[in-house]
Amino acid sequence: MKTSWSETEQVDRHISGLMDTGDALVFEAKLLLEPGLHDKIQWQKKAHLLIAQYGRKQLKNEIETVHQKLFSSPQHNTFSQKIRCFFTKP
Amino acid sequence: MMNAINDVGKLNREEAITALYLKAFPPVARYISRGGGSFDEAKDVFHDALVIYYEKSVEAKQAIDSNETAYLIGIAKHLWLKRFKENGQNSDLEGFDQPIEDVELPAGNRILHFLEKAGNKCMQLLKSFYYDQLPLTDIAETFGFSGIRSATVQKYKCLEKVRETIKQKALTYEDFME
Repeated sequence: MKTSWSETEQVDRHISGLMDTGDALVFEAKLLLEPGLHDKIQWQKKAHLLIAQYGRKQLKNEIETVHQKLFSSPQHNTFSQKIRCFFTKP
Repeated sequence: MMNAINDVGKLNREEAITALYLKAFPPVARYISRGGGSFDEAKDVFHDALVIYYEKSVEAKQAIDSNETAYLIGIAKHLWLKRFKENGQNSDLEGFDQPIEDVELPAGNRILHFLEKAGNKCMQLLKSFYYDQLPLTDIAETFGFSGIRSATVQKYKCLEKVRETIKQKALTYEDFME
């Protein structure tokens, strides 16, 4: 009997279209025999969307940290003043 | 991973982002200020451009380093013009496609919040693999696995955990089902 993580791995390869023809045929047959598998595919796709959402959120936090440092540390005064000058009304 | 931000290793991600910021933000800010934009608008546009730049370079699996700054500036200008068009201030921007896919799910933030508390290590592992697409050997080392095999097994166990959590939470947050 296959472990659950190996089924998760199969679902992942199915979602990303990385299965070779033989594996894909076996998986299609499995889909017919196990109605619950469709459900797993749908939820796993949502899991991937959530991981992307998480990744983007973390990256935005990293970018914001850099922004705060550049616009508050004396070391980058020249840089921040130069930028602010662009937005100063004459 | 041949990516300007990932390439230099985890500890130096901040330095890589800083370097891109110092090089590319001044021309972007000048461009947006000339178009009548504010400092906050320039910041928003530039941050979105950095995210797109990062995702595109991860997807391409190669450095865009021949002219990475120009590429980043181009994305930012594109985003600014698009925003301009949406505000009805410009009418001729045909051919500009939408470069960023909306990945946000309804109720996703609430589920994310839960997962960050209940299984942040899993989320970090999955992010490294799927979002940053770091090599498995690097992931195994960073997360303290004995090798790529155990990192792979753990990755799928985590994916399964996230999948089941979403399914379970969807019963609570009905809008997630839509």
